[in-house]
Amino acid sequence: MGEKRFMKGNEAIAEAAVRGGCRFFAGYPITPQNEIPEYLSWRLPEVGGVYVQGESEISSVNMVYGASAMGTRAMTSSSGPGISLKAEGISYLAAAMLPALVVNISRGGPGLGSIQPAQSDYLQATKALGHGGFHCMVFAPNSAQEAVDTVYEAWEYAERDRNPVLVLMDGCLGNIMEEVELPPMKEVIPEEAPEWSLSRRNGRDYQGNITPIYTEPILEGLNAMAGEMYKAWEEDDVKVEEFMVDDAEYVVVAYGIASRVSKEAVLKLREEGYKVGLIRPITLFPFPKKSIHDLDYSRVKGIIDVEMTIPAQMRDDIELQVLERCPVYEYGRSGGCLLDDDGVYEAIKDIVAGGEA
Amino acid sequence: MAEYKRASLLADSPSGYCPGCLHGLATKLIAEVIDDLGQADNSLNVISVGCSALNLLYWSGDNLSVAHGRAPAAATGIKRTNPERLVFAYQGDGDLAAIGLAEIMSAANRGENFTVIFANNQTYGMTGGQMAPTTLIGQKTTTSIYGRDPQTTGYPMKMCELISTLEAPVFVARYALNSPKGVNDARKGIKKAFELQLAGKGFTFIELLTNCPTNWKMSPMQTLEYMNTNTIPYFKPGIYKDKEADVK
Amino acid sequence: MKQSFVFTGSGGQGIMSAGITLAHTAIDMGKHATYLPEYGPEQRGGSAKCTVVINDDTIVSPLPRMCDNLIVMNEVALAKFIDDVKPGGVLLANASRIKGEIERDDVRVIAAPVDDIALEIGDPRVANIILLGILIGATEIVSKETLIESLKDKFKDKKPQVLEMNIKALNSGIEIGEQHKIN
Repeated sequence: MGEKRFMKGNEAIAEAAVRGGCRFFAGYPITPQNEIPEYLSWRLPEVGGVYVQGESEISSVNMVYGASAMGTRAMTSSSGPGISLKAEGISYLAAAMLPALVVNISRGGPGLGSIQPAQSDYLQATKALGHGGFHCMVFAPNSAQEAVDTVYEAWEYAERDRNPVLVLMDGCLGNIMEEVELPPMKEVIPEEAPEWSLSRRNGRDYQGNITPIYTEPILEGLNAMAGEMYKAWEEDDVKVEEFMVDDAEYVVVAYGIASRVSKEAVLKLREEGYKVGLIRPITLFPFPKKSIHDLDYSRVKGIIDVEMTIPAQMRDDIELQVLERCPVYEYGRSGGCLLDDDGVYEAIKDIVAGGEA
Repeated sequence: MAEYKRASLLADSPSGYCPGCLHGLATKLIAEVIDDLGQADNSLNVISVGCSALNLLYWSGDNLSVAHGRAPAAATGIKRTNPERLVFAYQGDGDLAAIGLAEIMSAANRGENFTVIFANNQTYGMTGGQMAPTTLIGQKTTTSIYGRDPQTTGYPMKMCELISTLEAPVFVARYALNSPKGVNDARKGIKKAFELQLAGKGFTFIELLTNCPTNWKMSPMQTLEYMNTNTIPYFKPGIYKDKEADVK
Repeated sequence: MKQSFVFTGSGGQGIMSAGITLAHTAIDMGKHATYLPEYGPEQRGGSAKCTVVINDDTIVSPLPRMCDNLIVMNEVALAKFIDDVKPGGVLLANASRIKGEIERDDVRVIAAPVDDIALEIGDPRVANIILLGILIGATEIVSKETLIESLKDKFKDKKPQVLEMNIKALNSGIEIGEQHKIN
């Protein structure tokens, strides 16, 4: 049994990062993620790590770029407006093939938007985290515990792929306190700094180059390699929760906080005899295409996309799998107005009962 | 007498810098100082964007190439996690004094223990000679074809003067590479900066006044003279801050 | 059984602290709990609200629209949140600041002058603990003993008088709550 603590999602992420081997963090204050840098500002030095408060989101992600190039497990965190500023650096991380963890505790948008929670960064996260047509694995945990487990393993993916990983979680989950079980501390051994890194602590005695700029044929080759990597993710790394889907006539698709509120509604509707299920993408990229594509559409009468943003942003990804075999509905709250149990329940029931009428 | 040979960190290939460009001289100085200090394997070159990015081709030590203006941020990540390394960034004037102004000032203000070498040639060389923050008043560029007008574009940015107002930096100096004396002084300044870094003293900043024959549309010799009559009177060489000397 | 609590008032009234203490105590008793704070943009004096959900099993949704127990510390909060408590639920009001009629006849209203009681005890800051005491006295949602353990932990770095005063506040709250026992 690990160590149990009652923690805010943001603090749980920070502690899990340290236990997962993170030894460098740079960030810039923005609500609703401030507990992550605040926690790491004292926690990292305790384990010989480094915390730097950058002068901007831009510099922070570039500090991470530098630390990661040395083979250090490095991360930055922010919320939507700050992630936009980090877009440049994330693109360079992908180009230079540097692992890193980027956490987005999202809020209402666009623009300065609202400091209150929202799921308005799905498209940014999954389609274009920066220029140049690259992707990151995007994880969307729906509890403090899942955030811990995800962040703890984030660098295993990031280093395997030599590509940044994004954890996308809304401000609600970032600020909710829940009980978490913390995993043990992973050992960090400088002599085992990755061979591709610019570290010399591992005994490397030849020149090392890390660059985000390439000659044309090499860049084309790297683009193609990245394409292969994204395909491999779809084969190997999709994470999805399917809940009461086997006999469902209506399937809710929701991630993060929306999935929890939706699950509550599904349970209530099941009690009332409605055959409703839930598909919860845990990885948003790779998207769990098969779970939605392979549903039995002779039985499924409708897909309901529930998101804490308006208009729904995951809808295109869902529709590409539904292929017009049934209607796709959407329900959401936005701008920092939260989803709630009754609202989601009523919205789903309207669709389900309406379909039966 | 010692044999004159190529510095160990310079690749065995001809330079692709334009004929008469002082970038080649500047990089040679850095490489030679690193050899003098026996730091070739321990050094790490943070390569910025602009003509300086060509160093990727000529520099055979460890290189990290970074985004435009962000070298001091990346260097922060490197040096904080690997304090034993000799870390320096080589940045041009657009990179350092325009898009990267926040990064350079903040790194200097934090007193990061690395060295920034700032090549100031008063123009954006690689993109074709546009006006830089350091372009002199009246100097013609592709985006100031009648000469830089301070009414609309302000005045050339004096980075040594700015940085020396900060508390943390330990050594801030400017040298002009258009004369043998300037080159010799620069070599001493770079060496001092690296020595201070290796001693863990803090942030060091070396500005090198350089040229751009291609975009200034002059012969190399004319650029050296232009530097004497125009650049140096405005960007005055000298030591702007020497905290260690003050202590003595 | 799943129970939800919404604590509302203005910043500085101990709203968040009461919510965390309640949730923490539930966890210590082996239950599951979630605590969600909602702040305005102001650091001080703005509106403050937190939602606590306590359940014997894992908590699926931490975002109820209607709560079982609404705790309001001032009239502004009452006006804003009066409709958010479920019929049959508990509305606990700080009568020191809420003077008017509470216009809900489908909920159990407990009005207690907690600010005044806190002053009598000796520190206005213990008002929120009196509220927790009333909740415990009325609903037995968490045990008094575990709550005292939580308080001991919370004030372990403070002078012993601080803990004593909080326990006194808790007991006086429980006394009031027991008069409104919910079966």
